[in-house]
Amino acid sequence: MKKRGIGVGCMWYGIGNTGAPNPAGAFLDFLEDGTVLVLTGCADIGQGSSTALAQIAAGELGVNIEDILVVAGDTGVSPDAGATSASRQTYISGNAVLLAARQAKEVLLQEAAGVLGAAASELGLGGGYVWRGGERTPVTVKDILARCRQKGKLTLGSGWFNPLTTGLDEAGQGVPYATYSYATQVAEVEVDTETGKVSVLRLAAAHDVGRAVNPQAVEGQIEGGCLMGIGYALLEEVKVDRGRVGNPRYAEYILPMSLDAPEIHAIIVEDPEPTGPYGAKGVGEPALIPTAAAIANAVADALGVRFYDLPVTPEKILAALTAEGDHKSPDE
Amino acid sequence: MKPFRFRATVNGRPVDLPVDPRRRLLDVLREDLGLTGTKEGCGEGECGACTVLLDGRPVNACLVLAPEAAGCDITTIEGVAVEGRLHPIQEAFLEAGAVQCGYCTPGMILAAKALLDKDPRPTDQAIKTAVSGNLCRCTGYVKIVKAVRLAAARLAREEGAV
Repeated sequence: MKKRGIGVGCMWYGIGNTGAPNPAGAFLDFLEDGTVLVLTGCADIGQGSSTALAQIAAGELGVNIEDILVVAGDTGVSPDAGATSASRQTYISGNAVLLAARQAKEVLLQEAAGVLGAAASELGLGGGYVWRGGERTPVTVKDILARCRQKGKLTLGSGWFNPLTTGLDEAGQGVPYATYSYATQVAEVEVDTETGKVSVLRLAAAHDVGRAVNPQAVEGQIEGGCLMGIGYALLEEVKVDRGRVGNPRYAEYILPMSLDAPEIHAIIVEDPEPTGPYGAKGVGEPALIPTAAAIANAVADALGVRFYDLPVTPEKILAALTAEGDHKSPDE
Repeated sequence: MKPFRFRATVNGRPVDLPVDPRRRLLDVLREDLGLTGTKEGCGEGECGACTVLLDGRPVNACLVLAPEAAGCDITTIEGVAVEGRLHPIQEAFLEAGAVQCGYCTPGMILAAKALLDKDPRPTDQAIKTAVSGNLCRCTGYVKIVKAVRLAAARLAREEGAV
């Protein structure tokens, strides 16, 4: 018999550790031809940080993203940005790049202020032009860059960001993170009571990311996290026997594959974080955190039996159903 | 062991070189021919990262001994773009955001190509089945399936235009 159930999982997750120093830096050079070189220690391991950092620099300097060249994770030339871990890079390196861009922008705005007879604080950059009080002026960014170079001024910026290091008190407690990401996921499952197999039919995953710098990449992170969460809930278990991993290959350590992927509805919630670049927080790990809880709750909803250890394998389900059956009298 | 003469067509070009017959097709492609777009993942035929096309059929290049591929028409990811122009499947992967870390991508694209060459209008289930030998840990497959669907639609339109 196949039984369906629905379950909910919620989570909050700290972004920007404050217990220990947690900085990232960035260098930026606004070159004379209008291209922008960004040096960052932030290693893009596929989550799309180089694109997000380019977007942040482009947004601040009012240039096209095609004009941004990001040199990432080259310890020969890039400043330290710490690890690509803890869902921290958009928040921390994003702020570092934003600050570096602001510094270079300030040089340009000061120069533009002289040309336009305006205060630098009234001016902005956008679409390759200098803007004044929300109106585009005829002065281009390239004009200003050329004037700077004629005077021997370089348009460089450097920035670094460290969420305020609070440390821990004697009890090892304190304010552990600069901000938090929140998420709720809902899973719908079908459980085969004869085989114990759980199929995840649908997942809805709503994530507060502060601000989605790159919505497509955020969706990709959420979808990937959901599938990894299915593995955590139902399949994946490292079997260790006297210090040896007993299942060190994909034929034995089973990952969810394409045919296991359910409908996944990624929902981006944007509640801007005041200390984040353009309000952004992080999404990498949060994407996976509530999935197993949502699925385990859905299985409990379907069967009326709760499971307290993962993965919820067919063997565990059949054992629980058998045990439950044993408690019932035959005529029940 | 005495080398044998490995003669095959790789990405449309004839190849003729001495190869130790104990080596895998994957090693010949990556090391002798410099075609490092083909990735080695598990090295035991479970992850699909090293997928290439052998006479149009997707195979794990880590499980094919070089002599088995002799005389075949082999396509690697380097042979998918035509005259520097990305193949519609590659374009679709970029547009749909189907690439994250990228390690599974070459194999994924070749598995998709093998499917679309045979079945130009696949269902989502057929797409998922076609890439079921290719593991991806980043994307959740959502955007990969979307990309293949998008590529199929584009290829059908191109076909219609001819």
